[in-house]
Amino acid sequence: MKTDAAPQGATSYYEAHQKIYPREIKGRFQRLRTLAVFVLLGLYYVLPWVKWGDRQALLFDLPARKFHIFNLTFWPQDFYLMAGLLIIAAVSLFFVTALAGRLWCGYACPQTVWTEVFLWMEHWTEGDRRQRMKLDKAPWGREKILRKTSKQFLWITFSIWTGFTFVGFFTPVTELGARLMTLELGPWETFWIIFYSFATYGNAGYLREQVCKYMCPYARFQSAMFDQDTLVISYDTQRGETRGSRKRGTDHKAKGLGDCIDCTLCVQVCPTGIDIRDGLQIDCIACAACIDACDQVMDKVGYPRGLVRYTTENALENKRTKVLRPRVLIYAGLLLALLVGFGYAISNRTPLLLDIIRDRNALYRMTNQGLIENVYTLKVMNMDTRAHRYSLEVSGLAGIHLDLDDKEILVESGEVATLAARVRVPENGMNESGATITLTLQALDQADLKIVEPARFIGPAPSR
Amino acid sequence: MGQTPSNDNPELEPTGKPWSQRAQDIAAVAWPSFLTGSVATMLFFAFIDPLVLQDATFPSWDLSRMTGYALGFFFFWGIAAVSSALSIFLTRSGTPLTRD
Repeated sequence: MKTDAAPQGATSYYEAHQKIYPREIKGRFQRLRTLAVFVLLGLYYVLPWVKWGDRQALLFDLPARKFHIFNLTFWPQDFYLMAGLLIIAAVSLFFVTALAGRLWCGYACPQTVWTEVFLWMEHWTEGDRRQRMKLDKAPWGREKILRKTSKQFLWITFSIWTGFTFVGFFTPVTELGARLMTLELGPWETFWIIFYSFATYGNAGYLREQVCKYMCPYARFQSAMFDQDTLVISYDTQRGETRGSRKRGTDHKAKGLGDCIDCTLCVQVCPTGIDIRDGLQIDCIACAACIDACDQVMDKVGYPRGLVRYTTENALENKRTKVLRPRVLIYAGLLLALLVGFGYAISNRTPLLLDIIRDRNALYRMTNQGLIENVYTLKVMNMDTRAHRYSLEVSGLAGIHLDLDDKEILVESGEVATLAARVRVPENGMNESGATITLTLQALDQADLKIVEPARFIGPAPSR
Repeated sequence: MGQTPSNDNPELEPTGKPWSQRAQDIAAVAWPSFLTGSVATMLFFAFIDPLVLQDATFPSWDLSRMTGYALGFFFFWGIAAVSSALSIFLTRSGTPLTRD
């Protein structure tokens, strides 16, 4: 196979990846990210254990084909709602990106959040950046084995817990835990726990920033949402250059130096290993670690903060930044419309479904009394969280009459009742050979719980 | 790895170098096809019950719904991966429009 790779040599594509050792950092944005980690992972690990009544509050019960979300139960028939939710999530991402850049990447993406936790564990066991680099270079000895083993122990335990929690969203988690303890997990449960554990371990432990660089589609197309007014993290070149080290207390401006003392801390803390001073780069996940690092240094040397800061390209060029601009307004309008539509759909959702299937064997039958009879198979699906009794009525033709085995149809929550309905019409009630009739299914205990479905009624061709 | 350049300033030494072309290709095949395969699985099984599908295809096999979902997921992932891999192969092996 012919490849168009760059010529092998200095900047060959064939160079291997080198491990990045992000330096630990404290600061406002790091605190924000730590908060995000605790909130998001807290939700992830705790939610499956929350009870709602006598069942799990959040359970995507795939074997039973229904989703429980607090007091709501969703069925495959509600799929359009989930599709709507996914579209809302995507538009929200576009909106936030246009407004504030890669906030998602820096604070909320699972890749970032789990990597952060894995870095903490690495820090606890292998020490800070310098110690980690030394340890990796050192020959294998007692300490290296001990430190690396404890890191792996933490990583693997955490990964398995993560995988277990993931499966806990799809199968009742307390029973899953009990089966795990007695080693009676089903084959697919075991498989998915291992699958998700391994993905967590590999992505957060080893791949890290490479997922963003090489695998993430969003990282590649997010720049399409950007404009000159989008919030980005940038180095103030005008203020910083010419960079260079200096003695404390020297008048750097007289020496022709800018505010950047070239301490390289912004590079050391970067989880993707870039130099923010080279300008806006696609590798930047906007985690703001470099802002925290630079602010500390600026405080120390007594310069104003913000040499690296959240800003916009317009602001850097001393132009005005416009927050309200067409693309932001369009995304916001679209998002609002979708949210209103979604809210309306959820609140007006009738948890009742009526399927009408015509008898396939005979189009119609003439009864002894001289009536035209059509037979339908009805499927009544109660998608509500409690049982209901329903009555069925039919209309649409003169003298139409419905014959059911039982007057009231009792359907338990989440069940489907199948029944035969015989509809009869006097011969003089029909002018044509086919007509549309209407079936109305009405809950007896709840006036607004009803569903109206049309059906086709077939009779003999009218005699002329 | 191999020729790790020894740098005087250990604080600056390890910056990320790009993956090999092959590794990038594998990532570009595996991950997007995983995403699209997941979406396809969701869409497909929202409308089709694996048990009903089984009755229509291999009624003599004894498969659970979970097996159906898993097989479906790997099927869609695999199909999408084949398509991605072919796309990469075609774009890489064709005659370039321009040469500089």
